[in-house]
Amino acid sequence: MTALLSARNLALSFGGVHAVRDVSFDVEQGEVFSIIGPNGAGKTSIFNLISRLYNANAGELLFAGQSILQEPPHRIAALGIARTFQNTELFEHETVLNNMLIGRHVHRRTNLFGEMLFLPKVRRQELEFRRVVEDVIDLLDLQSYRNKVIGSLPYGVRKMVEVARALCIQPKLLLLDEPSSGLNPEETEDVSFWIEDISRDYGATIIMVEHDMNLVSRASDRVLAVADGAVVAVGTAEEIQNHPDVQRAYLGD
Amino acid sequence: MEILQILISGVSQGCVYGLIAMGFVLIYKATEMVNFAQGELMMLGAYFAYTFINILGMGYLFGFMATVLSMGLVGVVLERGILRPMIGEPPFAVLMITIGLGFVLRAIAGAVWGTETKSLSNPFTGQVARVGELAVGYENLAIIAGTTVLCIGFYLFFRFTRLGIAMQAASQNQLAAYYVGIPVKRIYSLVWALSAALAAVAGVLVAPVSLLEPVMGFIGIKAFCAAIVGGFGSLPGAILGGLIVGIAEQFAGLYLPPGFAATTAYVILLVMLLVRPQGLFATMQQKKV
Amino acid sequence: MRFIFKTRYQQDIDLFKHNGQRFWYGVLAVLVLVAPLFLDTFYLGELSLVYIYAIAGIGLMLLVGYTGLVSLGHAAFLAIGAYAHSWFMRQGLPLPLSMLAAGLVSAAAGAMVGRPTLRMTGIYLAIATLAFAIIVEQIIAHWEPVTGGFRGQLVPDAVFAGVDLSRGAPFYYLCLLSTVLCLLAALNLLRSSSGRAMIAIRDSEVSAQSMGIDLARTKTVAFAVSAGFTGVAGALFAHKLGYLAPDAFTMLTSIQLLLMVVVGGLGSMPGVFYGAIFIVVLPQFIAIMRDTLPAAVGQIPGLEPGLFGLILILFLIYEPEGIRGRWVKIRQFFSEFPLYRKATHKRQKSYLRTERVR
Repeated sequence: MTALLSARNLALSFGGVHAVRDVSFDVEQGEVFSIIGPNGAGKTSIFNLISRLYNANAGELLFAGQSILQEPPHRIAALGIARTFQNTELFEHETVLNNMLIGRHVHRRTNLFGEMLFLPKVRRQELEFRRVVEDVIDLLDLQSYRNKVIGSLPYGVRKMVEVARALCIQPKLLLLDEPSSGLNPEETEDVSFWIEDISRDYGATIIMVEHDMNLVSRASDRVLAVADGAVVAVGTAEEIQNHPDVQRAYLGD
Repeated sequence: MEILQILISGVSQGCVYGLIAMGFVLIYKATEMVNFAQGELMMLGAYFAYTFINILGMGYLFGFMATVLSMGLVGVVLERGILRPMIGEPPFAVLMITIGLGFVLRAIAGAVWGTETKSLSNPFTGQVARVGELAVGYENLAIIAGTTVLCIGFYLFFRFTRLGIAMQAASQNQLAAYYVGIPVKRIYSLVWALSAALAAVAGVLVAPVSLLEPVMGFIGIKAFCAAIVGGFGSLPGAILGGLIVGIAEQFAGLYLPPGFAATTAYVILLVMLLVRPQGLFATMQQKKV
Repeated sequence: MRFIFKTRYQQDIDLFKHNGQRFWYGVLAVLVLVAPLFLDTFYLGELSLVYIYAIAGIGLMLLVGYTGLVSLGHAAFLAIGAYAHSWFMRQGLPLPLSMLAAGLVSAAAGAMVGRPTLRMTGIYLAIATLAFAIIVEQIIAHWEPVTGGFRGQLVPDAVFAGVDLSRGAPFYYLCLLSTVLCLLAALNLLRSSSGRAMIAIRDSEVSAQSMGIDLARTKTVAFAVSAGFTGVAGALFAHKLGYLAPDAFTMLTSIQLLLMVVVGGLGSMPGVFYGAIFIVVLPQFIAIMRDTLPAAVGQIPGLEPGLFGLILILFLIYEPEGIRGRWVKIRQFFSEFPLYRKATHKRQKSYLRTERVR
């Protein structure tokens, strides 16, 4: 097996504050990889480095063997990396359907002038996009929300829509930033089921940042624990939970 | 010597821009709103002074104070009536509303005082300070002095007073400011009062060198450029930006073909936005996710 | 209430969502087509003006309402379109080609402004466009060989295939046709990838980026397309005016265009037309008022811009969704009567957090 994503000595600092320091890890093709750690440990920063919202100060980030640290942020999705956000960043005033169609943007083959004339090619592409979107809607049970505007949806549904939108990219790697935050226990339970579905049906590799240890141990193959921007330990959920350094990081000395 | 003379008139003009720009920055710093009607507030201040001094016959100093106070009141009324309902609305809407406000104020001034130009009588008219070959009008000196005093005053205010710090807190995070017990709404009213009073000072200082007319507020657009050049949200930046624009304009008027002087401020602005979009004193950072 | 049972994906793509819409837009089409038969020259001219403003409004709406970028300088693009069209006509280009070329020149200018202003947001962008407009105004005033300077220039008649389309009913149909074509182009754009990319940028730049949308490119395209439409409107506007001078394209014009999209209702194409009707009717209304009101009120200088400002303020405070938003609410009130709940449309206010560091 080759690593789909590997981080080598990644570092990120904001004016003296070291958000990420010397972080290295490998994520294997097809696995569910969780990143855990106390608040402010640098979990989301790692995500922002992968999606190129932040520029790394040092280190290397390889995706399928290629360095991505030189790519502009908008090329990341085209490479096959999709993500969700901690507090959802959806397109508020649009319908669920249109949000998901935006996920298809990277697969667009038409140009501006063709679209203005709505050539048959554009229409065909729209229908094709639509079929992909409907598959995702079926997978995540979003049928009843299809034409609802995001602004009118409850939080739990929004989180699902965001995952759905990311899936419409048909990514090789899916980054989930706290998929269970703000959800009730029942909804959280569902999360572990659809993570399983996604990794099975879409063959996507998943990295998730998560606090809920139940979810982490149920869903993930391996877990990375970070604290103060640095790696504490990597291993199976059980190993990590019993790891003395991890316990110290959470509880203090 | 000629160059020095132009430089001084440039500085004086620049101080005017700087004064108005400070009004923009003040409101922006404390409320994160952009008040496009700042130039019109200055215009209104000048007309108030005209009314108090020329029509009602108050003395210059007394009229000056009455103007500043009454404009402060106007600021509060505007905040209460028009801007308070807009708290929490997108910045674009607030920008639009102040543009609308500018048009309304101009129409009101035209209705009350007429469109023919007027001049404000003041104690400096015609008096000139001479240093060697250099001649500087007292009214220009008054502008420069007034700006310097206000600039230092505001700097101290934001740096050291509780109120000044509370204002900054209110702007940086409304909700958090509420939680720590800062009366955000009252502070907003106060900021508008301050800013309108500042505009009034600018109006009174400017009136002797330019004539009073409802469209004199258009100078606000150039001042706005100055504020951005200085880095929106920075008071010293506003003055510096004002000086740059004012001086460049004077030189452009003398050495470049017609049409260039009128656009100097905008050309500087565009160049600035291209080269260093955050302005001379940067205050922006990236959104966090 | 109306329920639509969808059986094909096409139904979501179609421009008309149901037969009711098809019927009413059909009625509207017939009405505007036969309008020259029963309207006199003056009203026909005013209606043509509505179309011209609507085309400019479609452009501005794409930018402000759909991409979320504010332009305070769209009068510049109107001017560029008008002068370019006039120049191309004098060079002997046929009318449709000249209009298209005017649109393209304007679009190029738009891309030129758009490109460097990308890194700016909100007010910065707004003020940069304003600065651009003022510079364009000065260029027009001083570039005499091409623009005629302050004196201005006569616009050549719009003769195509031997027919003079510069005035009256022929001009009306020219405007109508242009409007329909522009509207179709804009609607097509909005139901395909480019349009959705614009909307994505409006709602969340960060997430648009992670969806693979190139912010710089999309914003530039939005600017260019917007300026292009406005340029076409400018070409028609040139014929409407008959004589071009710099004072036709001032900051007031820019604000008027912005007022049109705000009052009409941001983020909706029908809103553009409500807005256009509004800004054409208002000056007439003021003119009538001037005659009937006592002289003291009626003769106030700057009454028109003042009223524009006042209306802008009132709309922003009481109905930020514009005429379109009000209309939707009224329609919903009747279709859901007596179950209508006011809270459905309650605005969500957000607490403000700055992105400043000090």
